[in-house]
Amino acid sequence: MHGRPRKSATPVDENASALKAAKIRSLQSQFLQNHHNNIYTKEAQEINAKLIESNPEFMTAWNYRKLAFEHNLSNQSEVDKEDADHIKLIIDEELRVVENALRKNFKSYGAWHHRKWVISKGNSSTERELRLLNLFQKQDTRNFHAWNYRRFIAGLKDISDEKELQFTTDMINDNFSNYSAWHNRSVLLSHLLEKKVEGYFPKEIFLKEEYELVRNAVFTDPDDQSGWFYHLWLLDQTIKVDMPNLVSSWPPNGSEITNTTFPIVLFFNEPVEGVNLQTVSVQVEDDIFKNIAWSPLSANKFKCGQAWLTHLTIPFGETNSSKIFQVKIRSEYSQGIISSNGVPCSQHWSIAFRVSVCHDFQPEGQSLRRILMTDENFSTVDINSNVMDLFKSYFELASDYEQPTSSKWKSEMIASEIDQYRELLSWAECKIGKLTLARLLMANDAIGTPVAPNTTHVEEVLKLYSELMELDPTHYQYYKDEYSLVFLKQVASSKESLMKYCRQYKESTSSNITGPMCLRLNSLSLSRIGSFERLLWVQSLDLSHNQLPSIEGLEALQLLSCLNLSHNKIGSFMALDPLRFLKSLRVLNISYNEIGAHTVDTRRYLCSSPLSHTLDYDKKFEEFAAGDEKVVNFWEAYSVFGGLDIMQLDVVGNVAADERFKLFLVKLLPALKWLDGEEVH
Amino acid sequence: MADDGDLLCRSYADRGSEDQFFDRERHIRYLEMNYQILTSPYESQEINHLTLAYFIISGLHILQALDRVDREAVIDWVLSLQAHPKNEAELNNGQFYGFHGSRSSQFQSVDNGVSVPNNSHLASTYCALAILKTVDYDFSLIDSSSISKSMKHLQQSDGSFMPIHTGAETDLRFVYCAAVISSLLDNWSGIDKEKAKNYILSCQSYDGGFGLIPGQESHGGATYCAVASLRLMGFIEDDLISKCASSCIIDVPLLLDWCLQRQAVDGGFQGRPNKISDTCYAFWVGGVLKILGANKFLNERTLREFLLTCQSEYGGFSKFPRQLPDLYHSYYGFTAFSMLQETGLNSLNIELGISTIHHTII
Repeated sequence: MHGRPRKSATPVDENASALKAAKIRSLQSQFLQNHHNNIYTKEAQEINAKLIESNPEFMTAWNYRKLAFEHNLSNQSEVDKEDADHIKLIIDEELRVVENALRKNFKSYGAWHHRKWVISKGNSSTERELRLLNLFQKQDTRNFHAWNYRRFIAGLKDISDEKELQFTTDMINDNFSNYSAWHNRSVLLSHLLEKKVEGYFPKEIFLKEEYELVRNAVFTDPDDQSGWFYHLWLLDQTIKVDMPNLVSSWPPNGSEITNTTFPIVLFFNEPVEGVNLQTVSVQVEDDIFKNIAWSPLSANKFKCGQAWLTHLTIPFGETNSSKIFQVKIRSEYSQGIISSNGVPCSQHWSIAFRVSVCHDFQPEGQSLRRILMTDENFSTVDINSNVMDLFKSYFELASDYEQPTSSKWKSEMIASEIDQYRELLSWAECKIGKLTLARLLMANDAIGTPVAPNTTHVEEVLKLYSELMELDPTHYQYYKDEYSLVFLKQVASSKESLMKYCRQYKESTSSNITGPMCLRLNSLSLSRIGSFERLLWVQSLDLSHNQLPSIEGLEALQLLSCLNLSHNKIGSFMALDPLRFLKSLRVLNISYNEIGAHTVDTRRYLCSSPLSHTLDYDKKFEEFAAGDEKVVNFWEAYSVFGGLDIMQLDVVGNVAADERFKLFLVKLLPALKWLDGEEVH
Repeated sequence: MADDGDLLCRSYADRGSEDQFFDRERHIRYLEMNYQILTSPYESQEINHLTLAYFIISGLHILQALDRVDREAVIDWVLSLQAHPKNEAELNNGQFYGFHGSRSSQFQSVDNGVSVPNNSHLASTYCALAILKTVDYDFSLIDSSSISKSMKHLQQSDGSFMPIHTGAETDLRFVYCAAVISSLLDNWSGIDKEKAKNYILSCQSYDGGFGLIPGQESHGGATYCAVASLRLMGFIEDDLISKCASSCIIDVPLLLDWCLQRQAVDGGFQGRPNKISDTCYAFWVGGVLKILGANKFLNERTLREFLLTCQSEYGGFSKFPRQLPDLYHSYYGFTAFSMLQETGLNSLNIELGISTIHHTII
């Protein structure tokens, strides 16, 4: 069925081939002569038809046919014009030529296009087109020209989606490994759902039957991937939360903080746009603040982000006494917050927290001591110490504005699928079955209980991914990434599990830079990080000795001041781009990574300079570099570190970290006190 | 000839891949042969003469053997296929003034008042410019504003492009052509980028790949056209996966899944789920992975092994293992090996589909 060749490969003997070539050449020159001189006689059109039938790829010949066709229509005698049959005759002749061309090469773009063009002129029989399609689609079930043409005809002739759905069922029953049929099925069902056609809306009505249909396919041959893909689509349809929601924030609802200037972070379940003064209000006591500017925490140029940031300064005036301010952040017009798919948020939410301002409070001078995230500098967290307060409030209240999203039918459907695929795996060693089961189990946990994250199946899922890494080394990295994400989800799921990874700084080390506590996720062989919505409180983070190539998402942790990324797989400065947003960052360790080990392929920029690629820093960098040839090479590092007040930095153990680069860093970072363990003067 | 035929039959049997290597010398000879004379299987491809020339000349460049072509002759031939408006006013007549695919689609202009059909085509124009770039032609000598100004007429209200003003199918292939033409000319006035972007986005399917038109099933070639166009137009950045993929305009994780799953068990890449591996998708899908910065996830060793089973005894690559080679699959075999960093090959600009190294040719 697969890989149908465009031409038959039977060897033709040389004479015949030469004869054929001579014939085509003669036809071609006659045709070109006619085309050039606008000759549209019957004979001329026959020459063209012969040429096309032997070479459907000849686009110029199809263009001539269109001109000839229009000529024929406009030059009919008056009698003919009245005669619908005559028009039909002209159209039939065109369709005949196309059909012959398609028989010669049913992958000819020009031929299929010409057919569409003719059919759009009207007066044709739907039946005939469907017959032709059935013929071609039986011969080559995956021919996407035919499938496209089928969708075109269905649209033009108003063939119902239900009828077309039946056709895909027939094709699937014929051969369930026909992915084109499964694909068209998903397109048609999406239409039916969108139009809320009876019997297809709401979606749980058809999902159950679809799960059954696809189960028949994958149980028959678990190694065939078509059905699995469709299953993935069904799963997505089942668990899809249909609108964007706020999932967490900093500061959390009900908390109390003591800084007078602090970041506010709103974290959504998917990237959204439209967070602004009209959609979100910030109220301190009775005043609604009008000078608030929200910006998405995202490196791209589009006004869209999963996390949104603003900074608030509490105006505590001249009062001598300590005071507590009530701050309220509320959705005012949540419909104005829109997902990247254009779906508005319809949930209303409100976050209230207290800021206690002590007038005597003076920020202590920033520490000059070198901060080391080594075991001897940490002790286990004392549950009763007051450093726990904020942490506690975050976890006790974080779920207050989470709306229950579960539906009974969803859990039931997924539970039943889980049973089915457990059964499948009991008799078939099937990697995609394991992957599907892992996805189903995670889906089950995600919709099971809305308030606290459910981790019932995490152990089983982690085991499945471990097995997959062994079983299918080709996709090792993918499974590893998934494993890391699930693992972190478990770590971040509750206060108790997080506590296992938290360490308290010993008094000698702790400072207002580090905060009292460090989240130590080191040496866990993580290849990806996630669950940031539950880590917004983190000030010190140790991710050293993992396998991270990227820190995407880390930009949401706006309190982050100490970050250890040493001994990972960061391959370039651009992979550290999220750091640009972490304005509180003071201590950074990126030693022993792979920065500079992979040459950045600047040759890619054939028509532009490397500088046109950076986002905000071009002009300033040009000034900074001032034509210094050596510094120009550090434009990527400049764009990441240029706006930060880093005081302690470790870069040793990267190919890029040579002496020249260190000099560049000293020049770039005026606040720098420690570089690779040495004091900077 | 007869001897060659015998040899062909014998040589395809029982060839293990272990002892095989990328046979650069034979590939150069294969392209050189096609540079001298196009063989009969290409009769029906006469209309795509420029495209075949692009495979040969850019192919030789990737193989670091561009010295085998007569640079001046190539330039003269390519330029002779360009359609020129008679005057400035003609640029507004709705026709496209680019390059003709071949001599037969080009009518000699005669001053007898008869309108001369202009068949210049976006794909031919792309190939012409790619060849000229490859042989390091001075682009300031090209009348880029005629091409860009008239190309504008080909863009449809939905953002897609028609390849030829007389009408043809519109899909992502021609959005890509328009983007790459604009990029090579460094002139973006011929394309409404915002509209083109929206059209491309509407082609991303739920499985993460892109179809040639909205609603079509995902396809390796279409996915390349989509991602390369977005990259050329500046809507996405390089190395997306090590950056903020979640707020990117396309669904990168899903796209990544789809692309990676196109590497089949035999190591080669397929163009769509459940199809067999085909040489050219090593470039179409592999190229997308490279643009995303995710090429490290593909299994290079098995891909290499698969491609070598498609390497012909006499140079060039075939679509499927142990078949006769053709120019199209040969070219994408070479580009695939360039991406695999084979020694002795020039590196590629993935989005443009040509090599990037330029040196003066004597």
